[in-house]
Amino acid sequence: MLVHTVIHGGELNMAACILRQLSRGIGFAAKCKVYGGTVSRLTHGEAAAVATETRPTVRKFDAIQHSQLTDFGKYVAECLPKYVQKVQLTSGDELEVLIAPEGIVPVLQFLKDHQNSQFANLVDIAGMDVPARQYRFEVIYNLLSLRYNSRIRVKTYTDELTPLDSAFSVFKAANWYEREIWDMYGVFFANHPDLRRILTDYGFEGHPFRKDFPLSGYVEVRYDDERKRVVVEPVELAQEFRRFELSTPWEQFPNFRDVPAAAEEVPVDPKEKK
Amino acid sequence: MASGVLKQTTGLTGLAVVANPHHLLSVLYGKILRTIQKMPSSAAYRNYTEEIIKVRAEIVKNTSDVKELERKIGCGQAEELIQQAENELVLARKMLTWKPWEPLITKPLPNQWAWPCTK
Repeated sequence: MLVHTVIHGGELNMAACILRQLSRGIGFAAKCKVYGGTVSRLTHGEAAAVATETRPTVRKFDAIQHSQLTDFGKYVAECLPKYVQKVQLTSGDELEVLIAPEGIVPVLQFLKDHQNSQFANLVDIAGMDVPARQYRFEVIYNLLSLRYNSRIRVKTYTDELTPLDSAFSVFKAANWYEREIWDMYGVFFANHPDLRRILTDYGFEGHPFRKDFPLSGYVEVRYDDERKRVVVEPVELAQEFRRFELSTPWEQFPNFRDVPAAAEEVPVDPKEKK
Repeated sequence: MASGVLKQTTGLTGLAVVANPHHLLSVLYGKILRTIQKMPSSAAYRNYTEEIIKVRAEIVKNTSDVKELERKIGCGQAEELIQQAENELVLARKMLTWKPWEPLITKPLPNQWAWPCTK
């Protein structure tokens, strides 16, 4: 299933998906060939012809919505060239605005209050940890505009020590979402009115959604019958010297190493970006 | 009211009926236009907002009937239009301090937005 979700964005990727369906019977070698080069050699017209979706269970490519989202992405980037680093469409119809961490409040305020956007609802704030990056945490804001019936995603980044500006001054809903991010990832939000743990237990230490947090945790909790109370002790594994090697020595999805990216970048006018 | 029929409710919780939307809207649009005059003329935000506001202000000036006004602008009831204008005004004033028309403040690191990050 992962395969499908990854390659469904954009026309070319649709083409890749259908070609893959066709070559399913041929075998592994043929599949590799499809991923390697055939797709990139298709011209635009051919790709469009192949990409016409006929399967009833697969979402069809909507050219009007695609162009509207692209235009709106360009509009945001043009209005806020100081903060917008990149604009992209993922899964074909999800608009993402990737911004510099300094611009959280201005960008969210613009999206909320500008007459052409009116994204008045903050649906969710999500976090993401990619330890390979220098700024390892991504913070993702999902917004909804009831007026225009559309959604947008704003992404920014930070590391363990750099605080992000709290979105609380723009959306009151950000209060608990930011506490969640703080609890799970340890991203600090400056100017947050009440930044405490929200999901973990009293006295909990560490941030469990970080990739370097051990699966077994640091402490275990049990009821002690003699002392008649709950005690917290360091984790003691029943099987001594057991090594939990969680990463496999094999690459999990080697077939998809060369698959084109799931996101399709919206070109932003370079003279605006400087 | 020019329409002759008194409007009972907007149908939206917490949004009261406004007796004189024309007056309020023209005042707010005037304030927004004066605020965005202070931005540099090359700023995209200023140009786009000016365009929207001028079109709306023109409609407000020329249309006396509230229903007709709402239909022409096509962005909700007059009360909602007032709210939108208030939001835009607050935003425009904040924009003056943020100056979002300046060049990009921080460039992303080359692998920051690469996904999936394959090595």
